[in-house]
Amino acid sequence: MTLTDSPGTAGTAAGVKPVLEVRDLSVSFPTDDGLVQAVRGVSYRLMPREVLGIVGESGSGKSVTSLAIMGLLPRTARIAGSACLGDQELIGAPYSTMQHLRGRRISMVFQDPISSLNPVYSIGWQLAEAVRAHHDVSKQAAADRAVDLLQLVGIPNAKERASNYPHEFSGGMRQRVVIAIAIANDPEVLIADEPTTALDVTVQAQILETLDLARRETNAAMVLITHDLGVVAGVADRVLVMYAGKPVETGTVDEIYYSSRMPYTLGLLASLPRLDDRKGGALRPIPGSPPSLLNLAPGCPFSPRCTYRGDVCDEQEPELLEVAPGGHRAACHFSDQLEQRREAPVLETDATLQEELA
Amino acid sequence: MYAFALRRLLISVPLLLVSSMIVYALVHFAGDPLRDLEGRNPPVPPAVLEERRRLLGLDKSLPEQYWNWLTGIVTGDFGPSVKGIDIGADLSRRLGVTMRMVILAILLAVILAMVVGVLSAVKQYSGVDYTATLLGFIALSMPVFWLAALLKEFLAIRINQAIGKTVVYTIGESTPGLEGGLLTKLADQAGHLVLPTIALAAVNYAAWSRYQRSSMLDVLNSDFIRLARAKGLSRRRVMVRHALRCALIPLTTVVALDAGAILGGAVITERVFAWHGMGEMLLNAANDQDVNRLLAWLMVSAVIVVLFNLVADLLYAYLDPRIRYA
Ligand SMILES: Nc1ncnc2c1ncn2[C@@H]1O[C@H](COP(=O)(O)OP(=O)(O)OP(=O)(O)O)[C@@H](O)[C@H]1O
Ligand SMILES: [Mg+2]
Repeated sequence: MTLTDSPGTAGTAAGVKPVLEVRDLSVSFPTDDGLVQAVRGVSYRLMPREVLGIVGESGSGKSVTSLAIMGLLPRTARIAGSACLGDQELIGAPYSTMQHLRGRRISMVFQDPISSLNPVYSIGWQLAEAVRAHHDVSKQAAADRAVDLLQLVGIPNAKERASNYPHEFSGGMRQRVVIAIAIANDPEVLIADEPTTALDVTVQAQILETLDLARRETNAAMVLITHDLGVVAGVADRVLVMYAGKPVETGTVDEIYYSSRMPYTLGLLASLPRLDDRKGGALRPIPGSPPSLLNLAPGCPFSPRCTYRGDVCDEQEPELLEVAPGGHRAACHFSDQLEQRREAPVLETDATLQEELA
Repeated sequence: MYAFALRRLLISVPLLLVSSMIVYALVHFAGDPLRDLEGRNPPVPPAVLEERRRLLGLDKSLPEQYWNWLTGIVTGDFGPSVKGIDIGADLSRRLGVTMRMVILAILLAVILAMVVGVLSAVKQYSGVDYTATLLGFIALSMPVFWLAALLKEFLAIRINQAIGKTVVYTIGESTPGLEGGLLTKLADQAGHLVLPTIALAAVNYAAWSRYQRSSMLDVLNSDFIRLARAKGLSRRRVMVRHALRCALIPLTTVVALDAGAILGGAVITERVFAWHGMGEMLLNAANDQDVNRLLAWLMVSAVIVVLFNLVADLLYAYLDPRIRYA
């Protein structure tokens, strides 16, 4: 996959307003064991046509952030902060308002295509329903549009396949249908939540291409969520790295890849398989596992897994601060000392943690 | 769909054949239909016994007896009754009486279960949900005869007093010797139906509404409901076209499986309300050791259960495309 045609600094020119602006979004869930703080203050801006990659391990709050923006969290969720789609505040908006925005101005592609489609209706029916939800067109017109959309996302024999049911489609094909539903009404913002995680590796690249095509076709800005920095490199303009419900680093793809200032990002980079790896060494996963979001201890949540940690890390959680002009920000007490690293670095792993892993 | 329906219909035939064998064998080995005569004092003359044996076909071999009986019932001849009753005519009258109650009770229970189950799922942990749960468990734990007695004692009398004349009856399936037109007769039958139908529906309603609630909750938490919302559909459309439509599929199976139990419940309900239906027929036939009446009853029940399952299968296929093409 090639780098997208929009420049890395998309929309930073003066006067262009972001299509989506998230400010200090936090989400917690009351549970029997206590309050789960799934998202703890996420902020980002999405410019028109921009692609923002959100990266992080499982459980870092990527899906919850997106679902909060879409207004799709369960009623038990406690949400604070703001998310504006243009001038429209989404957080706390009533169902009737969200109903007119969802699928028309902001769409989402979900993690699991296998269960995302209703098993009792045909593919064409479900697509036509998405069209008719926002456009007052005849059933026939909606059905025709459904076939066009299926063609666009690369379903062969779209006309015949439209009358098939989801169980007659493979996982990859179903995800194409979900993408078609998401772009049915030319949204301004497309959120793709790990669109390829549940799929066979062989179709992952195809789905990413389809997604990119769909995005370009509709001129939508996109938030691409993944836990794979490799995927983001090919598609995104900017990257937001999340850890334990918080952004820990954000910047352009180049800034994140070549001058990361956050040990967690460095760890993610080190765990990538590299084509130019002369030594043929094994992949280096980040040792340990993310902290429980229940009653988080004070200090940096990454410190137990971090090789650069110092005393301050256990006392104070670092803020997301600018580390270079132009919007590169990192949340690490030692980000200055990480400056010299240019290559995707080697993260020395702690001997004790290494044992834990074994 | 039609191929599926035809296939299901054809499967019913061997199913009924096997149940006819089981039924026949059960009744055959359950007891000697002549015991009543043989044990008498002074003894019944052997000629009479011989006559009775020939009448019932007991002088032939068992397979032969079974074959004669089977070919008989297929043509509507249920064989002779020891009490000299025309089994076919008696059965069809009683069947009408009982099925009118059973079908009405099933309809009532299904509709109530759907409405209450869906409401308590949508409003989970609300007052509505807790009230429905409480009422459900009360209905579930109440034996049919007990509920029936309560309905008779309290509800019927109250209603009749409030209206000032008897509209809800507590005994029989209709007023004997009633004069009047079709409308009068229908109103009379409806008045007799009210209490037994409620009694029979209650326990099934309770079980089914719990079932409907949990299947609705399952569906509401599924990914495709989230996608339906993400498409920008109205609440109502998400609930009805997507959630309810899918949550109905498991209910059809449960209702079909419970059909046999409902027939059993109908026997008890009829007894409490002194109906002259299928329930009474079963009890009388058993008392009279009337083999052919007993067989007729069992066979008809088997047909009804198979029919319910057939209808449920067809409904299931209609509701779920994954079955239709399997
Ligand atoms: N309804 C809920 N009730 C309680 N906790 C929840 C709920 N939904 C999510 N969480 C918790 O919020 C945290 C973040 O979950 P989220 O799904 O956003 O992770 P993610 O980054 O998308 O991970 P993945 O890569 O596995 O999709 C998790 O710890 C999860 O257990
Ligand atoms: Mg997720």
